[in-house]
Amino acid sequence: MTAVTTPVLSETGTGTPPGNVDGQAIAITVFSTVKRWGRAWLPVLFLEPKLLPQTLGTLEKLSFIHFARWSMVTELAWNGAPQPKTRLRRPHLYFESNFNGGWEEYIDAFSYVLREGMAAFWGSSYGFPGAVPPGPFKDYIKTSDRRLEASHFYSAYADSTVTIVKQALELDGLVADLRERAAELSPEQFKAEFSALLAKGQRCL
Amino acid sequence: MTTATATTLDLADIQGDILRAYGNAYASTTYVFVRIGDATAGGAWLAGLADQITNAEPWADGKPGSHLNVALTCAGLTALGLPDDVIGSFSAEFRAGMAGRAERLGDIGRNAPDRWDDGLGTGAAHVLVTVNALDEPHLGRALADLRAEVARHGHEIVVEQAAHTLPGSREHFGFADGFAQPAIEGATDDRAAGGGVPLRGGRWRPFAPGEFILGYPDEDTTLDPERRLPSAPTDPLGRNGTYMVWRKLHQDVAAFRDTISTAARHFEDGDEAKLRAKVVGRWENGSPLVTHPDAPATDFDGAAAGANDFRYHGPDQHGAKCPIGAHVRRSNPRDSIGWEGRLTYRHRIIRRGMPYGDPLPVGAADDGEERGLVFACFNASISRQFEAIQVQWLNDGNVFGLGHDADFLMGGIAEGGSMVVQGECPFYLGPQKPFVTVRGGEYLFVPGIAALRAIATWPR
Ligand code: HEM
Repeated sequence: MTAVTTPVLSETGTGTPPGNVDGQAIAITVFSTVKRWGRAWLPVLFLEPKLLPQTLGTLEKLSFIHFARWSMVTELAWNGAPQPKTRLRRPHLYFESNFNGGWEEYIDAFSYVLREGMAAFWGSSYGFPGAVPPGPFKDYIKTSDRRLEASHFYSAYADSTVTIVKQALELDGLVADLRERAAELSPEQFKAEFSALLAKGQRCL
Repeated sequence: MTTATATTLDLADIQGDILRAYGNAYASTTYVFVRIGDATAGGAWLAGLADQITNAEPWADGKPGSHLNVALTCAGLTALGLPDDVIGSFSAEFRAGMAGRAERLGDIGRNAPDRWDDGLGTGAAHVLVTVNALDEPHLGRALADLRAEVARHGHEIVVEQAAHTLPGSREHFGFADGFAQPAIEGATDDRAAGGGVPLRGGRWRPFAPGEFILGYPDEDTTLDPERRLPSAPTDPLGRNGTYMVWRKLHQDVAAFRDTISTAARHFEDGDEAKLRAKVVGRWENGSPLVTHPDAPATDFDGAAAGANDFRYHGPDQHGAKCPIGAHVRRSNPRDSIGWEGRLTYRHRIIRRGMPYGDPLPVGAADDGEERGLVFACFNASISRQFEAIQVQWLNDGNVFGLGHDADFLMGGIAEGGSMVVQGECPFYLGPQKPFVTVRGGEYLFVPGIAALRAIATWPR
């Protein structure tokens, strides 16, 4: 990964650096210093997702989260001047995620429905106040020396959220299926099938 | 940060009307926005008003004929000479003001502040005096006194907005309004079922008072081992007060009726009343669609304990009874997006709206008259509560899986909004003409009575 020294961030309304917003998508990053025991714990956690079965399932169900990723960084690559050489005396936890909607609501989801998972990931980081209550947790994530502003952030469907894209794909499947069979259907059959398609696909309309 | 101790509400210091509605008895409400002339004269006037304010204690000798309540904008605090560090202790959105938050609120185009009524959103409105009265004579007297005092102190009235209850406590589109409210610990505990925080197993509990009154434990405090209190303005301003949102919303009644009656020709048996109910999520008399999907309850009393005791996810996950995009399901989704409501319960407001203008007779064409709703609500955090509802839930549908569909009752920012009424065969409503237009508004601070005295006598 690329090193970024203390970033100076201008705040958008949500506390998100402007470089981390593209259309409907918002990127969030948290770079935190890991305590000694985390160096042993985090690799175990990453390798054994069964330690967090609920967290992963819940993350998938929260439709406004595109993805979330935690990784441990032990050294920073140096890409040449003007980047200063940085030695990490301790490993760092690097979190990145893309989501849409409100920043506050995003962190609320972590606090209210993913509390145990958050403690497992961040518990070994210095300064982690606990995921609950969300107030101090939000302050922790917002602290500017833990956040990185993306130098490049791209969204293929800037006007769409991940939910919209998924619904469009689901509907596309239903329509393609009917289209394929349409030629062989009588008008009455087609009418019935079309109504069935609307009923089945109504949550994607 | 301060730590929570006792949680008994100091009703003698909290302004009335926040925790309990004055009720239908008070048929008239007039909102008077005043511009302060000089800070010292402003203080003198407010000190006099502080003695007349109705507090939240139960009335000992029956209903008073009229009530006064006072709120201030950030421009008002500045005009009254409060120092910058004190003003800086108020929330960022309050300091920015409603007009300053226009882009986030979707107040652009037809709703933009440069089209608002004179005196709103410009920094000219400093103090809001709300006058509630039993009848016209009481209202007339209270307003005459108020106008005289404002003039005597060298201030100026910049907006005077009259509002009246309509027969049956209806709003202009014809629906019973204003009864579904959050239940608050220490004030309205008896409304917990349906009004409080949803718990597992169909149970509920009332909200921690700090969600609505500053200086008390809120829902975060409840989860916090250190029992820290939520942030509030510097003492003594941060005690027993709250924030208020005041928004004048014009309603195009003819457009609403036309849209529904035209669309209903293709809806189940042409059932217009049912289609109207689908847009709101309640029948005209208030009975919830989720509990009464086929016909309204004849004797529905929305204010009765338990009247709103229902959830969405279990009985109606896919919106066959109450559409996922219905106004009440969007504005208070309860457990509609799952997790027993844990992703929605921090976004509740106390609504104290009142219609303005005369009703449009049934069957009449648009008469071009001004009518609508003075939407007023109270919350401890305008950004977390009111703004989240307006922005995340009403202006956009993504959290509910409704794409960018805005609330159909109000209409989105642009013309042409739509709504899918889920059912055995889904029904498509739209493209619509927007029914509601913002005529102006302000973010206000409602001080406790001692805090108002402190503002009035601030060393300047
Ligand atoms: C002219 C505009 C509006 C009209 C005609 C309107 C109408 C209604 C009606 C008829 C109800 C059901 C009755 C009740 O629950 O008391 C209701 C409920 C509600 N409305 Fe509105 N409303 C308007 C604007 C707004 C706005 C701007 C917001 C918030 C930003 C809002 C938030 C709510 C909430 C939170 C409820 C209670 C839902 C529940 O607890 O079940 N409304 N509204």
